[in-house]
Amino acid sequence: MQQQLQDIIAKAENSVSSITELSALDEIRVQYLGKKGELTAMMKMLGGLSAEEKPKAGQMINDAKQAVQKLLSEKKTALETAVLAEKLASESIDVTLPGRNIEIGGLHPVTRTLRRIENIFAKAGFDIETGPEIEDDWHNFEALNIPETHPARAMHDTFYFDAQTVLRTHTSGVQIRTMENKPVPMRIIAPGRVYRCDSDQTHTPMFHQVEGLLVEENASFAQLRTLIIEFLRQFFEDENLKVRFRPSYFPFTEPSAEVDIATNLFGDGRWIEVLGCGMVHPKVLENVNVDSEKYSGFAFGLGVERLAMLRYGVTDLRQFFENDIRFLQQFK
Amino acid sequence: MKVSESWLREWVNPKWDTQILAEELSLAGLEVDEVCSVAPEFSNVVIGHVLSVEKHPDADKLNVTQVDVGDGEPVQIVCGAKNVVAGMKACCAKVGAVLPGEFKIKKAKLRGVPSHGMLCGATEIGLPDDGVDGLHMLPEDAPIGVDVREYLSLNDVIIDVDLTPNRADCLSVEGLARDIAAISGEPIKVPFELEPIATTGACHQEIKVEENTACPKYLGCLVTGYDTGAQTPDWMKARLERSGISPKSLTVDITNYVLLELGQPMHAFDADKLQGVVQVRMAKDGEKLTTLDEKELVLQNNTLVIADDSGPIALAGIMGGLSSAVSDATQAIFFECAHFAPLAITGRARQYGLHTDSSHRFERGVDAFLPERAMARALQLFTEIAGGQVSDVKALVNEAALHQPKAIQLRPERVEKLLGVVLSNDEIEKIFQRLNFIVETNDEGWLMTAPSYRFDMAIEADLIEEIGRVYGYNNLPEVEVNAPMRLPKLEEQEQEMQLIRQVLVNKGYHEAVTYSFVEENTQQKLFPEQKSICLQNPISDDMRAMRVSLLPGLLSTVAYNQNRQQSRLRLFETGLVFLSEDASIDRLQQIPMIGGVIVGSVSATGWSEEDRPVDFYDMKGHVESLLALSHVADKVRFEAKVLPIYHPGQSAVMVMDGEEIGSIGQLHPGHVKTLGVSGKVFMFEMRLDTISTTRIPSAKAISKFPIVQRDLAFVVEQSLPVQAVLDALGEVSSEIVQSIELFDLYQGAGLGENQKSVALTIKLQHQDRTLQDEEVDALMQQMIEAAKHKVSAELR
Repeated sequence: MQQQLQDIIAKAENSVSSITELSALDEIRVQYLGKKGELTAMMKMLGGLSAEEKPKAGQMINDAKQAVQKLLSEKKTALETAVLAEKLASESIDVTLPGRNIEIGGLHPVTRTLRRIENIFAKAGFDIETGPEIEDDWHNFEALNIPETHPARAMHDTFYFDAQTVLRTHTSGVQIRTMENKPVPMRIIAPGRVYRCDSDQTHTPMFHQVEGLLVEENASFAQLRTLIIEFLRQFFEDENLKVRFRPSYFPFTEPSAEVDIATNLFGDGRWIEVLGCGMVHPKVLENVNVDSEKYSGFAFGLGVERLAMLRYGVTDLRQFFENDIRFLQQFK
Repeated sequence: MKVSESWLREWVNPKWDTQILAEELSLAGLEVDEVCSVAPEFSNVVIGHVLSVEKHPDADKLNVTQVDVGDGEPVQIVCGAKNVVAGMKACCAKVGAVLPGEFKIKKAKLRGVPSHGMLCGATEIGLPDDGVDGLHMLPEDAPIGVDVREYLSLNDVIIDVDLTPNRADCLSVEGLARDIAAISGEPIKVPFELEPIATTGACHQEIKVEENTACPKYLGCLVTGYDTGAQTPDWMKARLERSGISPKSLTVDITNYVLLELGQPMHAFDADKLQGVVQVRMAKDGEKLTTLDEKELVLQNNTLVIADDSGPIALAGIMGGLSSAVSDATQAIFFECAHFAPLAITGRARQYGLHTDSSHRFERGVDAFLPERAMARALQLFTEIAGGQVSDVKALVNEAALHQPKAIQLRPERVEKLLGVVLSNDEIEKIFQRLNFIVETNDEGWLMTAPSYRFDMAIEADLIEEIGRVYGYNNLPEVEVNAPMRLPKLEEQEQEMQLIRQVLVNKGYHEAVTYSFVEENTQQKLFPEQKSICLQNPISDDMRAMRVSLLPGLLSTVAYNQNRQQSRLRLFETGLVFLSEDASIDRLQQIPMIGGVIVGSVSATGWSEEDRPVDFYDMKGHVESLLALSHVADKVRFEAKVLPIYHPGQSAVMVMDGEEIGSIGQLHPGHVKTLGVSGKVFMFEMRLDTISTTRIPSAKAISKFPIVQRDLAFVVEQSLPVQAVLDALGEVSSEIVQSIELFDLYQGAGLGENQKSVALTIKLQHQDRTLQDEEVDALMQQMIEAAKHKVSAELR
């Protein structure tokens, strides 16, 4: 019987190893383990054995069944793995192809620069204010101590709509609007477009400024200078940035200064002017009913394109408004 | 103002080299724009005396000269210049000289004749072109052998100072010297002494000043019997040239010299051409005057003129007239030296398209006490050079109208408060003494009286600036702002601009910034119903009209980039548009907008799906993302509307709360060519305030009960907007409807010719319980009936 069982196992092993289809596996199972299977038939022979022989023979047949079962399930796993492997192989892709919808646009460098300026001042508690671009004479000039006869008017290269209405030449008018409407003390910045009737390699008829204003009981020129230097060093992320203040003149500030930084953009370490500033002129404070004995204030006006040029290495101002996509893409 | 450094140093000579001097000027508020040498580098060029000139034996155009260069033996030089003559003094480059451009002078033979040097023309040694075709001629008394650089002071430097309008006092050599003296501590030394000149008696030219507020001081003086052949000396010419003024004639040069030296504009008339009384009066409307530069002006009555009995002969303080101008034939000169009030001059030059050294100074202000000195200086220079008889100076002065320096109160505590630095009284007083102020102490501090040339001093803050300026802004201490800290408002409902921009950036858009003014005709064609507000003085004609929309600017940006091989574009801009119903400023509205434009293929990387050009729904999806960001997508409806800028079949307005807040569509194919764009361009624009606020989230419990989903397909007229079906269903009020969404749109087989099928998915859910089939069926029935009733929709 032993021999017989071993023959059956050997035969089963032989036929299992030769098949390649999962369906064929079931035929083999039926052939050996099915109701009329060879091992099932062996089991039926147990009835003719003695009580002593019976358990031993039963055990042997069961072992043989298990051996065949094992052969079958091993083959099944092997075949299934092969099928899966084949399926997966057929599904492999080129992972180096670009993904879908990868594109991302970008902000204009002026916006990017404005955000940087705004973020730095917002951290110091400056609120952002805005104003109209078509502005009246009072807010753009008169209230800022620039009467009609003032030589500074000619310097402003103003665009006019009529005698009383202009395109704002600076964001300083927002100072006036804000102080007219809100109580002091205050700290604000006012970013925006400004316009001058001037166009050449270094001037565009439209550009951007950020006006800053701080009015407190004890605002001083030394504080203004300290704040501006700190701002410039933060903006350029350069603790050793060389900054110098030069006395200058704006009708709406006294004392007034222009601020230069040393730059290597042109390879020679030259001084480049980046902003104008000063202590708010007492007449300006009086024009908006702020007591100029009690309060003092300082104001500054940053040239945004100038800062953007120095920060990002742009050498031609006009590029900002050509909107060449190949230029814009560099500021993603 | 341009000035020669050597001239300046004649007045004050601090121990600073040129670079430091320039830097100190800038740091004192007198910004130096440029420092440049008057002549390029060259060496070994001396004054030569041409002793003899003989024809070259073998060359027609060459001469052989013997030149004394002060070395004992004359040198032989072969020279090709036409104007070389025996006896002349000329610039002679010796052997070993290096001329501009690294041109070395060596011993040579020219056509067989040895030549030991070179006689030079003006441009050969980098001097301004003297108009002579040949050698630059030097005066007869030029000292032989002296280095030309030294003789012509060519080692000099021109300093160009860009002065702010308040520092008119520095529009002269003396003015700059005074400030340099104040900041350096080096004393000023006036290089001339004015001694009284013997006169021939009263000035017999009658003068009448009608406008004695506009002209509070008028000095006149007659000069006769001088050497009419006298020439302007070279040193004076050089100084004028270095300040950018071309020499003309002795009389004019002297008035210009005094203008540069002291800052006082003057004028010289040909006295024999004056008719009757010289008058200072306002012009009459329509009077004519031909100015020195031969422009005929028609005058307005706001203009102060100098006139005689024949009419205006000069624009006061701006420019003289041609008829009374001095010339070579002039035998008698009437010098005018006047003070005009800035307000009488301001804007007048510009009104006539003029700008002169004189108007520049009078507009900003001139020291009212300077004319007497300036007249004396001019007469001194004139008589020294040309001799002549001088009359008494006739002076008409209205003392009351002259600017008198007033005492200004200065308080030490204000100095500390405004500058943020503590200075001793002594330091403050020293600063003002150096600036020539009269310093008087009083209970509150000081009374400071500025010198008459510092008429810009009006208030205490002006004095404080002077302290800062002389102390040095860059020497101020570091002081941090120490104002009370407060937390600024942060309104959560306010949508951040940054997030709005980022929605489009994330969809591949680049932000553009275009000019706020556009070409009027193009704008008019795109927006015929809008009236443009136009600039009076645009930069150019195509930048005249204020934009009524962001789209014209974006469209020209598309054209610009398409012309540079960029076919796929996504651009947006934010900014103001300027609307006015009747183009009047009174009705002006300045409205913040956001607009975008797309063109080209839908996908940036086209390898995987079928590539197609962008269409209306791509653009609409981007807009809806913006609306969704600020939670207004439900409130905004898209309604088809024909607008001139858009394709009539692909154009819509966005309506929120009954108001049009924007538009979207394809650019009308009729505009494609005129705008220079190509392809199908889709655009949108909407008011930024639509999306500038958002909601603050308010959390609700999530229902635990199952969602029931039902699909309904309706057959409707093909022309019916899907929105109408959605609206009809939406009107069936029920708290269990979670969403109604379009999942299929079908036209074709099985449907009538003008029909379409609209298939919708309706999701239902109750907050507190499981829905019953009966109530769902009932609701569906209601919807089906509503659709039938409102839009004649049949269930498919």
